[in-house]
Amino acid sequence: MAFLWSKISATLPPNEEQFPLQFSEKVALSVVEMLKRARLQLYGETTRASRILNAQIILDYSWERLNTGTWRHVDKEWRRVYSYGCLFKAAALCRENPSEEEIRQAIRTCDMGLLMGAAIMGNILQVIVCILQSEIRKLAEEEDNHENIEAKKRKIASPHVGLIKEELAVPRIKCPSLESFNANHLLPLKPVILEGIIDHWPALNKHPWSVEYLRSVAGCRTVPVEVGSRYTDEDWSQTLLTVNEFIDKYILNKVQVSENGYKAVGYLAQHQLFDQIPELREDIRIPDYCCLGEGDEDDITVNAWFGPKGTVSPLHQDPQQNFLAQVVGSKYIRLYSPEDTEKLYPHESQLLHNTSQVEVENPDAERFPEFVKAPYLECVLQPGDVLFIPVKHWHYVRSLEVSFSVSFWWS
Amino acid sequence: MRWFGFGFNAFAQVCVQEKSDKEDSSSSAGEVKVNVPIELKNHVGRSKIRASWSRRASLFLDEEMSVRLAGFCAFISNESFSPVMVDTRGCRDAIISETHLTLAFPDRIECWDLQSKEKVPSWSMEILTQSQNSDVNLPLVPGGYISSKTPIFHSLSSHLQAKSLALGGEHAILLTAAGAVYTWGQGSHGELGHGGLIPEEEPRTVEALWGMSMRSVAAGGWHSVCIGDGGDLYVWGWNESGQLGLPSRGLRKASQQKNEPQAGELCGSVSACLGEERHEEVYISIQAFPALVDVSPSCEIRTVSCGSRHTAAVTTTGCLYTWGWGEYGQLGHQTTTSLDEPKCVEFFRNESLHVVDVVCGPWNTFTAAVKKEVLAT
Repeated sequence: MAFLWSKISATLPPNEEQFPLQFSEKVALSVVEMLKRARLQLYGETTRASRILNAQIILDYSWERLNTGTWRHVDKEWRRVYSYGCLFKAAALCRENPSEEEIRQAIRTCDMGLLMGAAIMGNILQVIVCILQSEIRKLAEEEDNHENIEAKKRKIASPHVGLIKEELAVPRIKCPSLESFNANHLLPLKPVILEGIIDHWPALNKHPWSVEYLRSVAGCRTVPVEVGSRYTDEDWSQTLLTVNEFIDKYILNKVQVSENGYKAVGYLAQHQLFDQIPELREDIRIPDYCCLGEGDEDDITVNAWFGPKGTVSPLHQDPQQNFLAQVVGSKYIRLYSPEDTEKLYPHESQLLHNTSQVEVENPDAERFPEFVKAPYLECVLQPGDVLFIPVKHWHYVRSLEVSFSVSFWWS
Repeated sequence: MRWFGFGFNAFAQVCVQEKSDKEDSSSSAGEVKVNVPIELKNHVGRSKIRASWSRRASLFLDEEMSVRLAGFCAFISNESFSPVMVDTRGCRDAIISETHLTLAFPDRIECWDLQSKEKVPSWSMEILTQSQNSDVNLPLVPGGYISSKTPIFHSLSSHLQAKSLALGGEHAILLTAAGAVYTWGQGSHGELGHGGLIPEEEPRTVEALWGMSMRSVAAGGWHSVCIGDGGDLYVWGWNESGQLGLPSRGLRKASQQKNEPQAGELCGSVSACLGEERHEEVYISIQAFPALVDVSPSCEIRTVSCGSRHTAAVTTTGCLYTWGWGEYGQLGHQTTTSLDEPKCVEFFRNESLHVVDVVCGPWNTFTAAVKKEVLAT
């Protein structure tokens, strides 16, 4: 285990003098003093408890700053301070013959820094978490008794035939040229399902994504999970779980989660998982058609959407173009044009102005009489399909089985 | 009157502890987390205390060099408890933030940048002779109030008739001469008490308290507290560490996990969830309307103060109750456990001390107390 510390130590600057602690005047000198104390302890002799205590002070103070004001306005400096706190804490946990539990705690600490902090020292938390993950993999036992839900190439006969009306089906097209996609779909902002364009993804052939594969690649990593049937509900909340906990609790239903008789739905939704776990990033590709946009490739937001049967995203619109790629399982999706926005009764509050008040599959005809008159397109998205959702196009999504989708928001 | 302090002490702002020769974990935590009240030395005569995260400011109202600082003193001096390097004679009130020390004199207000070596205040204003007779009640100043971030001065409409003002982490709570309460600022944690989560740019009356006269207000990082004329305590805002004195889900989960040390990471959190669901308790995470808190049966609250995530209240019978975040010993119960129910700080009872005042820093608590015999005479 001393070997683990030497690997981590190798990622750090060789001495205190070369360890940068530069902050804007936004960070009070007293806080910089605590950071300097922690740096001193990193390269000096002291107790484990003392190192962890100092790291925790830095974390507690910066956590308070991260929770003050709106997230958008939180100064990046405080997110950097938070990341330094995570670095000092993870280093302290792994220094002296850490147990497996301590290594997992250190991984969780790094993940908190990756989720809430800002990159420091060449994204050192990412580097360290990879070292710690390999260590866990070496220690992990083999478990064979997991259900295997694999990504398969699209079958010819869809099991969900009959679920959608042919005349309302989103058109499908196989591997269109850039020019024809641009002319027929992007410029006129018309939805379409692109087939065959992600067949080359390792996620669909070399490393077919499955629950087992996700566990092995990301099991000990901490991710944000949405709990509750839909984000417009009162009892909707967000929590942090490891991927293993999420899979056991919400995908495989190993634990009976019943509140008043209803099973709570958990959804790993709208999370930039591929920034956090580079191995998964290797299994996907940015669709070529994104180059038709005006933005840079760096500005494309890639989100993971992983959940059980029955996750619902209420009818809403987004301010960018979207390619929704289906990797595992299938989803029912309905699309409404922005021209019909008035019939969709968006919430009035600023927070939810992009979301419709209507429950698409159970609309209240008294409160929302115009809704049934709004024309729509629908589809069942299968593994290998990519749905083009034009900017501002209203969309409603419900998973029909365990599902993993990847979305690309681009302009 | 004697002052006591407990809680966060990483900058020796509560007290300077002797470092023991051998490095053992308990001693280092003991220096940083003072979890039982310790008497503040050199605090004789009438004094006030103000605290920021890393410092304590003591105002000695009877003395010449009337403001002294303890804690992080980078540019002031190397002493652990030193006079401020500015003329503070005649200072009646002060506020200390992480970066600024604001002093109220009979004829002027001065705001000093603690991080610079400037010999002049970074901001100041004169007080007109007519207002000199009334006591300045910082952060209120004639015409408005001051904060520690620019813009320093904010005007307040005179029709509000502001009597006292408390500034929280991201909000403000105002008490008027008529006993009404106004709030403004960020509202995303329910700290404005209007029933929602939206921010307010201008002071807005807390309608739920309309008709009841309040006599005191206090603000924490994300919570608000006020005392009614009859000594009742009302709380609202974020309850993530039990700072409202209402049941907190986070505290119950944490205590369940502590009780199951054998369980692996996965089982611990899952069974903690199960335990809580079986009991079907109601937890409050955000209280967006004022709620009445029963601090102690049939006791009137005399004064209250809030830290960033904890609350401390003094009863008219001289007991100190604390609740909320306790990680740094700021609740004074000889533990670092957080509490979501008010608990009496036994130290003062055991020492026959009658508590008369409490002032909280973000992560610590300072109390003024007198010997019970002194009261009787």
